[in-house]
Amino acid sequence: MDERTREYLTGRFGDYYRRAELTPPPAAGEREWGHIPWTAGSGTTMIRHQSLLDLGDLGSYLAREAPRHVYFSAARYDDPGASTMDAKGWDEADLVFDLDADHLPGVDPEETAYADMLAEGKAALVNLLDFLEDDFAFDHLDVVFSGGRGYHVHVRDESVRELDSEARREIVDYVRAIDLDEDALMETRPNETGTLRDTLRAEGGWGRRVHRRILALADEIEGMDDDEALERLREFDGVGEKTAGNLLTAFRENREALEAGNMEAGGAKRLVKKLLPEVVADETSPIDEPVTTDLRRLIRLPGSLHGGTGLAVRRIPRRSVADFDPLVDAVPDRFTGREITVEAAESATVDLGGETTNISAGENTVRECVGVFLMTRGAAEKATE
Amino acid sequence: MRISQRHARYPFFEVARDAVEAAELSLPSLVAEEAPAVERGRERVERALLAGTVESETPREWSAQDELLSYPIARILVSLLDSEAAVRKYAAAEAETAAERIRADVETGDDGLRSTGNDGVSLDEVLAEFDLAETVVAEGSARAGDTPQWFRVGVGAYLDLQDPNWGDDWRLVNRELAEGRVRVEREELYRLLREAVARRVAEGLPFQVRGTDAGDDLADALEEGLDSLRGLLADRGRIGSIDVVVPDLFPPCMTNLVHRAREEVRLAPHEGFALMAFLTGIGMDTDEILAFCDASSLDREGIRYQIRYLRDERGTQYPPPSCETLAAYGLCHNEDEHWKIASHPLVYYKKRLAAADEDSYTDWRDARQAKTDEAGEGVAADDATDEDALGDDGSDADGDGDRDAAAEAEAVAGADPKQDEQS
Repeated sequence: MDERTREYLTGRFGDYYRRAELTPPPAAGEREWGHIPWTAGSGTTMIRHQSLLDLGDLGSYLAREAPRHVYFSAARYDDPGASTMDAKGWDEADLVFDLDADHLPGVDPEETAYADMLAEGKAALVNLLDFLEDDFAFDHLDVVFSGGRGYHVHVRDESVRELDSEARREIVDYVRAIDLDEDALMETRPNETGTLRDTLRAEGGWGRRVHRRILALADEIEGMDDDEALERLREFDGVGEKTAGNLLTAFRENREALEAGNMEAGGAKRLVKKLLPEVVADETSPIDEPVTTDLRRLIRLPGSLHGGTGLAVRRIPRRSVADFDPLVDAVPDRFTGREITVEAAESATVDLGGETTNISAGENTVRECVGVFLMTRGAAEKATE
Repeated sequence: MRISQRHARYPFFEVARDAVEAAELSLPSLVAEEAPAVERGRERVERALLAGTVESETPREWSAQDELLSYPIARILVSLLDSEAAVRKYAAAEAETAAERIRADVETGDDGLRSTGNDGVSLDEVLAEFDLAETVVAEGSARAGDTPQWFRVGVGAYLDLQDPNWGDDWRLVNRELAEGRVRVEREELYRLLREAVARRVAEGLPFQVRGTDAGDDLADALEEGLDSLRGLLADRGRIGSIDVVVPDLFPPCMTNLVHRAREEVRLAPHEGFALMAFLTGIGMDTDEILAFCDASSLDREGIRYQIRYLRDERGTQYPPPSCETLAAYGLCHNEDEHWKIASHPLVYYKKRLAAADEDSYTDWRDARQAKTDEAGEGVAADDATDEDALGDDGSDADGDGDRDAAAEAEAVAGADPKQDEQS
């Protein structure tokens, strides 16, 4: 990045912050703050161990510094500005989840288009929220688009803020189904008449997820004639004619037992193991483990700008998650009002703000958000106007 | 405030702490007077470190007040020991005893039939004590008076108290988690409560006793007798793994204990402790020790209990005492002047192993292993047959697993002709 580009971006980021509506986290004064300034060269220097007291008013500080990236700590400290972690005095930390396209299955950061990465990340986010809201029943969730390639979720329920790293790893493993023991999904329980039955532990957890899948399959089968149903059941690896027949009978005649989790009928317990890999693949969420287990992590500030895209780090109201389109909704208004000229290294296509812009190598006059996007990514330099 | 049995049985409860304060008794004067509570406090710590329980060996000797006051005395003693291991072991023993009492109280129920008349606690009271009343709910509609079998524990509290090292079935991923709560069985709830008690007990330990005139006097008065307890804890040298079991090479003091146990002489708790610590220290696991001590005066439950306690939850072991400490307890008499070889049972044993020709001894395990395999083969083969009958399209993974296990057992048993000879 040349000096003219750097100066331009610094100036425009500053303009953004002068009008930006920042949404600092609760207890901002008990958190550590950090930022990465615009500097020459490829190296980045993080300035951290700062408290809000050191910074003064957050809005004017950001307007003045116009940093490239802005972070705050998930943790709350007695003395957030102390220069060593020990001296800070850790009190508690938000439970933070990070979904980064880098870690998503089916995404190759070199090959996958930016829009497709973001779509994959969104699907993973929806799965994650299902765990957090349904299984964990957390009340205080902040869903945030990271401004880059993924999403963050900050959980601030009091019951989890003091959990240590090991306990947080348990949550990660739960969501990612790590060390899930398929045998532990079943147990022998007495039914209402006291007879011991192989029962799916369907009251919660992964057992409940598999149970739902089995009942969904039963629903699907219900609408089919016998031949069609048998064919559907035989799609499962290792299910032969005989097993399929038994299963069909169980689905048709023993629905109540299935609903109660009793898996004896028709050998339905076989289905548990057959469905599990499918359930895990569809429902797990590939959250980045180190982010969640790190009790002292710095996370991007919602409302700030991502210095690698020029997009805003956006808090997403829960009801808007389904409709959120980062390539439209995270484009800062500040960068949509005018056109600028940039010098691109090579041709490219940029989808932003609902419009597609074709870039050719050399000078291009483009919407500012497109220019900023290319410059922050290192794909273009500012041209003289 | 009247001191009740409840205070005596749960001295770490808030109300019990209040009762101690209200009693306006000064601990220094109790110590100076050598009040019974002081003696009981010593026993409390000694039993905690040696046997993993704080239950008195002579419960009838002590009043409720002695019991209650022995707890703050014990905390001073543990603080004077000034060792993380001592705090951990002490807290674990208090928790173990408390958990048993809670279970007894809860399962006796408040039905007026309590024979002990000891003013027991209800589960709700225990939960409230640890601020868990909101987060733990009983499942279903148990009949009035019945203790529920299942509970749902708030996931935050569950994760806070649980330790994944307790086993895979404690891992959250293998749990029924729904609407923010984890399903646990009653026994599991007791386990969580045991952890809550251990934390309550360990809180603030060790504290500074010395440093003021009064503190110094108190510490001096209690110092007597601390040395032997300290000795138990201080013997924490790194001996390295041994993992060979040759009873003929055991140090004389241990051999002596083994013989006495096998002659059905009842060992004193500290003797049993020293033996278990040695057997654990040379790498024997619970099953092996149970087999080794079969047909002896040592009862199986007692052995299990002590081993569980000897194995630190963090995986490090509680090493056996040195010969010097054992001598202080009258267990080691420097037989055959074995201190000249080494004054620690494990070091002694290791040296004798190193000096012996490997062909000249037989590992006790080999003989046992051969026997076990022979027995195990039949069982595994039966399992495989069962599964064969079940599988209708040859796809059942269970059946394969068991067949593999059977094949492996066969291979092990057949591989070494020497083992067959031994059995």
